[in-house]
Amino acid sequence: MSDATFMGVSREKIDWAPTIDYSKCDFCMECDDFCPHKVFERREGEVKLVVANPKNCVVFCRACAKTCGPDALTFPSKPETIAAIKQIRAKEGEAE
Amino acid sequence: MKCAVLVCSGLDKPLGSLAREVAVCAAEQAECEIVCPVLLNNSPGRYEATLKELPLAVVDGCGTRCATKLATQMGLKIGRRMLLPEAIKELGETFEDSLRPGPEARALALKLALQLTADEAEEEAAETEAVTFPEPADFLKVTHDKFVFPIPVEGYFFNENDCWVQVVGGRARVGITDYMQQTLTDITYFAPPEVGREVEQFDDLGAVESAKAVFDVISPVGGKIVAVNAALEDTPELINEGPYTGGWLVELELTDFEADRELLLTGEQYAVKVKQKAEEASA
Ligand code: SF4
Ligand code: SF4
Repeated sequence: MSDATFMGVSREKIDWAPTIDYSKCDFCMECDDFCPHKVFERREGEVKLVVANPKNCVVFCRACAKTCGPDALTFPSKPETIAAIKQIRAKEGEAE
Repeated sequence: MKCAVLVCSGLDKPLGSLAREVAVCAAEQAECEIVCPVLLNNSPGRYEATLKELPLAVVDGCGTRCATKLATQMGLKIGRRMLLPEAIKELGETFEDSLRPGPEARALALKLALQLTADEAEEEAAETEAVTFPEPADFLKVTHDKFVFPIPVEGYFFNENDCWVQVVGGRARVGITDYMQQTLTDITYFAPPEVGREVEQFDDLGAVESAKAVFDVISPVGGKIVAVNAALEDTPELINEGPYTGGWLVELELTDFEADRELLLTGEQYAVKVKQKAEEASA
């Protein structure tokens, strides 16, 4: 997956993934059951779920948040992400 | 609206208890018939008459969508759908987590039931002239193993989230690509967005559901939603049959297509992506 790109920008450079608010999360695992992209991973111990593979998350997808009853999942701001992607594209365009 | 209500009633989950409460309220308030998922599963014949007579409203307590899946397995046509966490959020309410619905949860269930059974709002006839979207003339064909994924070229653009946009003047039609349609397999439901809502590029435009997965439709363009494809209510399989034509999802009035275009792909560029995605998926 390392050569994955989104809009011509390396996926590695795009900050888009869910964040789990552990003060709300009750580890029901709905989000993990839902997402087919192996973004989440289950753990033993107190924190039973982590965002293990943020770069697997589909840029601009927020689908798992809808499955979360306690509203524990948040995402980066979309306009900011778009702006960042455009900026990287502009920079890389110049470099070429 | 009188309907048959099928709820997940997940006994070990607070939202399951809430779903059950919603069914009871719907029965009380709108003379709906409750369909018990367990009995339906074991002896479908018991509900045959009811389901023939009444449209089916399905309520799921969580994203596992047990009630929807059951309805799909039984080959039932879903008239309405409610996913509780989403519906609660839309109402701006919160839910106290308890297996035994207290007064607040019961009040919430009543609100949800009323929403579930509300008569259809008169379709806001959009005050815009109809635009004709021509059928695509040429397709690029991406092949992978035994699969073929056609991609229209003329007049269509794509985002990397497997949605297309066809632009005619200031209007646009949006749908999902043939690749995504084949990935989802048999589509059972399109949860449409609200007509009149303004969306930005990459906002969601409802969701397409199959027994296999739920796919959030991510808008390739920003604009105002002026129409949703009403035919999909009865025949969501149109999305499988003609994802670029009869299975279109939403029409928008564009805000600034030139700006949106910067982050869209042409058919040729999307074809490269599809090839990659198909290879990754089977790797
Ligand atoms: S946003 Fe989409 S891709 Fe990302 S973790 Fe959630 S469901 Fe998975
Ligand atoms: S769906 Fe929400 S509450 Fe459940 S495990 Fe995921 S983040 Fe936690």
